[in-house]
Formats: sequence, C-alpha cells, structure tokens
Amino acid sequence: MKKNRTLIFLFMAPTVICLLLMYVYPVLRTVIMSVFRVEDLTSGVGEWTFNGFANYVKIFHNASFITSLKNFLAIWIVGGVITLALSLLIAVILTSKIRFQGFFRAAIYLPNVISAVALATMWVQYIFNYDYGLLNQLVTFLGFDKVRWLGTDAKLWAMIAAFIYGSVGYYMLIYISGIEGIPTDLYEAATIDGASKGRQFFSITLPLLKGIVKTTITFWTINAATFYLWSKLFSPVQTEGSTIVPVIYLYDTVFGGKGVIERDAGAGAAVGVVLTIIIIVVYVITEKLLKSNDLEY
Amino acid sequence: MEKTKKRINWKHELKMLPGYLVVIAYVGFLVVVLAWIIGASLSTSREIMTGQVMKFGSGFHWENYVTAWTTQNVSIFFGNSLLYSVVSCAGVLLIAAPAAYVLSRWKFMGSRAIRICLVISMSVPAIMIIMPLYSLAVKWGIRGRILLIVLYIFMRVPYTAIYMLDFFATLSHDYEEAAAIDGCSANRTFWVIMLPLIQPAIITVTIFNFLSTWNEFFMALIFTSGKEMTPVGVGLLQIVNSMKYSGNYGGLFAAVIIVFLPTFLLYLFMSRRIISGVTAGGVKG
Repeated sequence: MKKNRTLIFLFMAPTVICLLLMYVYPVLRTVIMSVFRVEDLTSGVGEWTFNGFANYVKIFHNASFITSLKNFLAIWIVGGVITLALSLLIAVILTSKIRFQGFFRAAIYLPNVISAVALATMWVQYIFNYDYGLLNQLVTFLGFDKVRWLGTDAKLWAMIAAFIYGSVGYYMLIYISGIEGIPTDLYEAATIDGASKGRQFFSITLPLLKGIVKTTITFWTINAATFYLWSKLFSPVQTEGSTIVPVIYLYDTVFGGKGVIERDAGAGAAVGVVLTIIIIVVYVITEKLLKSNDLEY
Repeated sequence: MEKTKKRINWKHELKMLPGYLVVIAYVGFLVVVLAWIIGASLSTSREIMTGQVMKFGSGFHWENYVTAWTTQNVSIFFGNSLLYSVVSCAGVLLIAAPAAYVLSRWKFMGSRAIRICLVISMSVPAIMIIMPLYSLAVKWGIRGRILLIVLYIFMRVPYTAIYMLDFFATLSHDYEEAAAIDGCSANRTFWVIMLPLIQPAIITVTIFNFLSTWNEFFMALIFTSGKEMTPVGVGLLQIVNSMKYSGNYGGLFAAVIIVFLPTFLLYLFMSRRIISGVTAGGVKG
C-alpha cells in the first residue's frame, strides 16, 4: 500500500506527544531527580544541586522506609505465594468438568471490576470491624473472644488477606486462558496411561504453564511494588508503621504528611527508582530461572 | 441445585465436590458481604452498631441514600467520575485509534521504537511519572477537571493503541484499495470504513478504559484540589475519614453501594466480553 507521509504524521502525532509528555520525559526526569537535592517538587532545574547517591543513602537510613520495605516483602512473598497458588487452584477447578463455570469465573473476577476503594471500605468497615464485623461474629459464634483484626499486630496481615481476596480473580483468568491453551489430547493420553489427576497436574499442566507463571509473577511484583490504595484505606488518616509501604513513604516524603519534618522530592524520586529496579530485577531473574521451554504442543 | 446435579451424574459431581466447595465458599463469602452491606445501607447507624442489620426492625431507611447523595456530596463525586470516564474514553479513542491503524499498516522511521515505547509505557508504574507531571501541571497552570481528564486520556493511550493494533492488523488491505479506486481519501477511508470494522474491539477496549478511569485512585488523590473536581474513589475516602465526626454509618454504606453500582451493572451485562478481554493478547486490563 502506498505510504502517505502526511497521514502517518497526522495520525501518529497525538500518540507520540502523549508518550513523550506522559512517559518518556517524566521517567527521565524522575531518574535524574533522584541524584539531585530537590526540596520542593515545583522548583526548577536551576535550583537543583547534584548530590550523587545521597538521596539513596538517606532513604536506606530512614526507619520508615526500611519498615515499608519489610511490609513490601511480606505483601510480595506471602501475598504472592498465596494469591498465585489459590488462583491456580481455582483455575484448575474451573477448567475441569464442573458445572456453572461461567458463573463462578464471573463471580470470582467481580472484585477486580468494582472500585477498590469501595471494596477496601467493605473490609475495614464491616468484615474486620471489632464490634459488629463478620469475622468477629463468626469468632463469637464459635465461642472464642473477639479479635482486634485492625490492631497493630494483625493489621498488615488483615490488609494482605483483603488484597489477596480481591486479586485472585485476575490471576485465575490468566491461568484459565493458559490451561485452555493446552491440547486436551495430552490429558486423554495420560488418562489412558493411568496417570492420576494430581500426576497430570504436576507433569503436564504445571510445566506447560511456565510462561504464564512467569507473566503472573511479573504482574504480581508490579502490583506489590506499587501497592498503595489498600494501605491508604487501612490507615486513612495517618501513616502507620504496621501498614506503611514504599509508595506511602514516597507520597509523604514528596507531598508531606504527618510526621514528615521536611519535604524532599529527590528522596521521593529515589524511592521510585528503587521500586522500578526491584521490578526489573525480579523480571530478569524469573526470565532466567523459568526459561521458556522448547516443548511444542 | 443438589437434586438436579444428582439426576445428571451424581457420581461425577460427587467426585468434584471438593472443587465445588472451594469455589462456592469463595463466591459465598462475597455474597454474604454484599448482602450485609446492602442491608446496612438501609439501616440506622444504631442498628448497625448493635448488630441488628438484617432484621430491619425500624423498616428500610432509604433516606440513607438521600443523605449520601446530597449531604455527603456523592452526587458531585459521581458526576465528576462520570464526566472523567466518558470524556476520557472518547478522547483516548481519538488519539489511539489513528496511531494503532498507522502502526498496523506501515513501517516508517521510528515506528518500531514507538511500538516498543507503547508496550513499556503500559507497565511504567505511576510513581515514576507523577512527580514531573505535578511540576509540569503547576508550571503550565493546568488545574481542575481538565487536568485529570488529560491525565486519564494519556494514561490509557498505550493500552488502547496496542489493543487496537492487533485488530487492525487482521483487516485485509482490499478495503483500502477499493476505497482508493472510488476516490476516497486515506483519512476518510480510516474514519468511515476501517474504524467501524473493528467495532467489537472498540467496545471491549472502551469498557476497560471506563472501568479503569472510574476506579482510578492514585492520580486523583494527588491531582484533585477541592471537592468540585473529586471523583468517587477519593470522595469515598473523604466520607470514611469524616465518619468519626458524623457517625453516619448508614450513609457510609449507602455511599459504598452508590460507588459500587455503576461498574457492577456494567459487569452484569458485559461480563462475558470483559472476561474474554482480560486475557486477550495477554495484556493487563
């Protein structure tokens, strides 16, 4: 087809402007900002002073940031293992010969469609509520004492549990599409050979899902590293050590929050870069460890 | 349900019982919670605090919805979110569709770089861009609703362009050739012939853009100044935070239901399309 340069230019220009303005320029500026001393976010480049890795040294000596990293690790590892395992289990169930598959898939994915703020409010104001909450009603019904689910000790885990419940549906759909891509004759052959359902899962399904598992690990890492909303809603007014995550720390450092003495946009940028590096490193490692198999099917 | 199952093949269904239990427990939990929230939105704060929610001892308190809608400003938040979602859905199509079409049709200088850039942009975390965007907005004096609309449009351009690119690529070149013979300009051919051909993709991608914009929270929290431009997510957070002073639990749960309803209804009618769209092309929804 004939190349029409004017058309190409006119059709591409808005998207290119969007990419430059919204992504390329901001990312570069954030990276550069992370090695400068920038007190106020709105100050021009002229007021920046280069200070090497001082911002990074500063955040890694900050107790709040270290706590936020520990909480991130809990969300990433514990939350990740449970979410990915649970969604894989449900995906296997919903691709087996079970009735009402469509309904169950739709219902389990539902939390991903509704406003996460509404969802988190349901957890905080109802399920975990001390006086009239669902869990404490269950606990008293079983004859135990009420639990302070949102007390300092339990809050992080309560938040992770709520986050997992809402996330499973998304990963389930990814696994389902992976499992449905595996030809059924593999399972038929295995059944004829007398392989049990469990054996079939570990010898056929899991190895062939390697690529999908890789994708879900990357997605989960991005979600855990940029975790913000749930933490904000579990500690809405004041940042708390039990639920602080890196992005909360970043927000407080850049825009100010209770307990922040001086704003520091450079340090905030450094937090962003650290999180991005974590995501990239995890991505590279999973790519190396779970090399896409050469199996053809 | 149990009976019909038995009539069909109870031996098989019994073997699947553990599977049924897992998914029924998972879904049942959500049903119980939603039922209670709806019940609470129709109860007085006193009934909620004393655990009398599903009894409706004093009747249905629809006035909770009126309070939430008017006194707690949900009407403003709702209107803002609707405006942001509808306008940005349209804006994103106007920007991304032509680019997706051009990228699917021709190779030109930088086309490969733009493609890669689009794919990477989809997974750039918001924290890497908000700080410079904030200072740009201040510097250029862009404020109010228009700022969030522009941000929401730009946020969805990479996903929308990549999603539509695959669909344009499947269209035959015959359409354009026939149109060219009839003397139709390339520009007109795109808007009148090519774009309508990928209507199913447009609908799916627009649903995802709508959901994403309606549920967006982080950008809204940073860039909203003042209640007249606050969307539902941030608005709900404000209602929760003022609860301590107002003590109106019924109104809070009514607000939760109002915020929950639009995307839920959309999902009710479109769940098949949404579910198949989530994994199409392996892109994040």
